Amino acid sequence: MHSGRILLAALAAGVLTLAGCGGDGGGDAAGSGPGGLTVPKIDKLAALGAGEGEVNVVSWAGYVEDGSTDKSVDWVTGFEKETGCQVNNKIAGTSDEMVALMKTGEYDVVSASGDASLRLIYGGDVAPVNTDLLSNYKDVFEGLKNKAWNSVDGVPYGAPHGRGANLLMYRTDTVTPAPTSWSAVFDPASPHKGKITAYDSPIYIADAALYLMKTKPELNIKNPYALDDTQFQAAVDLLKQQNELIGEYWSDYTKEVQAFKAGNSVLGTTWQVITNLTKADGAPVEAILPAEGATGWSDTWMVSAKAGHPNCAYLWMNHIISPTANAGVAEWFGEAPSNRLSCAETKDKNHCATFHAEDEAYFEQVWYWTTPLARCIDGRKDVTCKDYSAWTQAWTTIKG
Amino acid sequence: MVGLGSYLHRHPRLRLAGLLSAPLLWLVVAYLGALAVLLVSAFWTVNGFTGEVVRQFSLGNFRTILTEEVYRNVALRSVGVAAAVTVICVVVAVPMAFFMAKVASARSRHWLVIAILTPLWASYLVKAYAWRILLANNGPMDTLFDGPGYGLPATVLVLAYMWLPYMILPVYAGLERLPDSLLEASADLGARAGRTFRSVVLPTLVPSVFAGSIFTFSLSLGDYITVQIVGGKTQLIGNLVYANIGAANNLPFAAAIATVPVLIMVIYLLAVRRSGALEEL
Amino acid sequence: MTDISTPAIRLTGLRKSFGAVDAVAGVDLAIADGEFFSMLGPSGSGKTTVLRMIAGFELPTAGTVELGGRDVTRLAPFERDVNTVFQDYALFPHMTVLENVEYGLKVRRVARRERRERAEQALASVRLEGFGGRRPAAMSGGQRQRVALARALVNRPKVLLLDEPLGALDLKLREQMQVELKAIQREVGITFVFVTHDQDEALTMSDRVAVFDAGRIAQVGTPEEVYERPRSSFVAGFVGTSNVFTGDVSRALFARDGVFSVRPEKIEISADTGAPGTVAEVVYAGAVTRYVVDLDAGSRAVVVSQNRHDGAPLAARGQRVHLTWHDEHIVEIPPVAKETAHA
Repeated sequence: MHSGRILLAALAAGVLTLAGCGGDGGGDAAGSGPGGLTVPKIDKLAALGAGEGEVNVVSWAGYVEDGSTDKSVDWVTGFEKETGCQVNNKIAGTSDEMVALMKTGEYDVVSASGDASLRLIYGGDVAPVNTDLLSNYKDVFEGLKNKAWNSVDGVPYGAPHGRGANLLMYRTDTVTPAPTSWSAVFDPASPHKGKITAYDSPIYIADAALYLMKTKPELNIKNPYALDDTQFQAAVDLLKQQNELIGEYWSDYTKEVQAFKAGNSVLGTTWQVITNLTKADGAPVEAILPAEGATGWSDTWMVSAKAGHPNCAYLWMNHIISPTANAGVAEWFGEAPSNRLSCAETKDKNHCATFHAEDEAYFEQVWYWTTPLARCIDGRKDVTCKDYSAWTQAWTTIKG
Repeated sequence: MVGLGSYLHRHPRLRLAGLLSAPLLWLVVAYLGALAVLLVSAFWTVNGFTGEVVRQFSLGNFRTILTEEVYRNVALRSVGVAAAVTVICVVVAVPMAFFMAKVASARSRHWLVIAILTPLWASYLVKAYAWRILLANNGPMDTLFDGPGYGLPATVLVLAYMWLPYMILPVYAGLERLPDSLLEASADLGARAGRTFRSVVLPTLVPSVFAGSIFTFSLSLGDYITVQIVGGKTQLIGNLVYANIGAANNLPFAAAIATVPVLIMVIYLLAVRRSGALEEL
Repeated sequence: MTDISTPAIRLTGLRKSFGAVDAVAGVDLAIADGEFFSMLGPSGSGKTTVLRMIAGFELPTAGTVELGGRDVTRLAPFERDVNTVFQDYALFPHMTVLENVEYGLKVRRVARRERRERAEQALASVRLEGFGGRRPAAMSGGQRQRVALARALVNRPKVLLLDEPLGALDLKLREQMQVELKAIQREVGITFVFVTHDQDEALTMSDRVAVFDAGRIAQVGTPEEVYERPRSSFVAGFVGTSNVFTGDVSRALFARDGVFSVRPEKIEISADTGAPGTVAEVVYAGAVTRYVVDLDAGSRAVVVSQNRHDGAPLAARGQRVHLTWHDEHIVEIPPVAKETAHA
């Protein structure tokens, strides 16, 4: 009892002291950007040893399939047999969740999108990758290697996995005519009010910015991830208006499948894999890439700086970018593969063409998820952009 | 061993210390300690880019919570939901508990208690997802009642379902302690059932109802899963805390938000303390 | 005293079964207006169940209950002009003493002023003036008992039912309350039905007593009748202590067959005349001394003797003695134990 009282007293005193000297800068976003930051020095793995028997993976839904979702969709069992590395998979719904999971240090590899990768690198959560240890790395499209989101100063931090666009899904029985533009989810007079869904993450603000980029040229948005105060406010206002139309936001893909199947949602953003699963469940849905283009992702497999199973992690990274596995993921998830040999391995021979795997011009229309920084990433020097923490707090405001 | 035993017997204070030191340590370190860390970290900030915690004192988090309208709205909405859930639980639980304690036969009483307790064994998530399906478009609720769909009313409904046992049990216990002779005395003095219920049963139940309301109110105030599953686009305090821990990885801000329900509960507990509800727990 | 023509309570063929158990197995009884009537019996004999059927807390399995000539068998408690004093008093804990007493009047919509007046009066009649503002929890057992009495009496019922109301009090208080209850009853002049398992209580307070045995009435009568002329060995044994002799012992002592009872205080110890026996036990109990004597005839007899002089025992353990009694103190118990009680 005695020590408890002392503790309470200390606490109370501390609070009083803190309250007394209050008023120092609150919103200091000083270090928000790579400018003021250095990459923590972490050594890459020098040589590959024997597998440790298991590997802990953080991934997007549909990236690690062992046949339990669909018997014919399995690129894990073979890997486990071959390498003896048991795969323990944890599915994350958003990039933020991935970052949070990797910070625990309990996971070995992660399929990070562009809005997570740099945060992981600068946070010292992932290690540089020794690409010499990945035999399949040489076949990866050159257009995906050493990009701003997967390398720093020419040092690669991961194995490129694939890329794709966030699509617009709709129920063909209720949404007629079929939508062609993102305006379908922003129209205040939409007949589908209350049955529209959107991705539940601050990064969705970029979808609104992309739409404004095409429809409100006077805002002069050059990059949906580099928004100054005016541009940001316009995007937030658009999303607040959209909130009236929203039935629910989704980040859990099973929740979206169920909502579209039941008809609680009839229109909204999706990933190709969700459309596939919903169709497999017997619901009449289609997904399109709207006229304005779309936000999207370019994912990279990264290895944790604190990996407990580094050898299995490297074996996994090499496996997942191998032509057959890479083709399997690409077709199941609905994205463009990263290995140019994968295009020969897909069941649908047109897959690479459909998903523009080798069409760099197409991917110029897709704005990969990128972490917004205070130093505008579109190159502007005269303004400060809203950084990701501002996006996060705005997202709360939008949902109301 | 005999020596130690008799030594302890002769020194009751030492015996007490030995008995209580472990739980007390747990209470201070794990419980109050965690609260203290929460309170302290609420004054820290997070590097917006890497997500690293910056251990520097700042009132920024609280300033944001107090000045941004959305946090006030969410806090009020959460209190409203907690209050509505509590009221529904009381309205449903009091007659049910009365039936169990005073009407049902001794044997069926046991079965009723078991029936009330069984749902508590089922996973929270299973129940929430079951309700998601019940409430879905063309689902049973939609077909039968032109249902509420996903949203705030659905959240209140499902939370009331989830926490009902926590209201029924204290009310039932309170009623069991209410002697039958009080009800007979009231009838004997000329009161009909309704009058007896109003004048004798309800007043003696007030502490039990408040005791139950502490559970239903605080559990509702802290919920973030049910509302995510059936709440549509609704967000409550719990969602903000969760979003700031899980998604935004902003632990200090989450801690700052988390102090809001703690504060509300302290106010609530102080309010119900006068009713004698705390003796019922 | 007992005007049977217009009974306050008439029970006819009253039965009550709980599952397979017959708690009350056929009771016929009439209780006169203004009577102090006691129902005496061991626990489980059905006396409380009969009381609860009169109050309306239990519905009879068969038979009728009439109050003042009106059949109330199926009426709810609040429709009957009776009030009850409960064994545990059943005071409402969240009300003050005054609110408790006022409750019945309030329910019956008596005007506030009159209500207050009558409640104060009732409290005064049980000598609790000035206690109205207290909570029941702040009062002693005897005080609570009197509040319960006031709460019932304030409604001026035709009949007051009392369910072992003195059971929870200590001996001294109990004896004091017995006197008070009797006085109050005489004062208000209403019918009291008093349930007790204490034979002293029943004998000292009642105009008439019904002795219950296994769901039936074994005997009804004035205290004197029940005590002096028990009509079954059960009554003889339950009401007071009794020496009951049967079979060979009867033949030896009374020279004929039958069941005979002699009260211990009616027996005298003499040196040379009467039935011979040996003193097995001597128990000194203040006012009296009890002797247990093993009779040569083959039974055991209890003798109670007043310690009129210096309290020196009349006989010691192991001593040979003779027991004598007057013929008029011999009670012959009718051979058929089963009997219907006629009021």
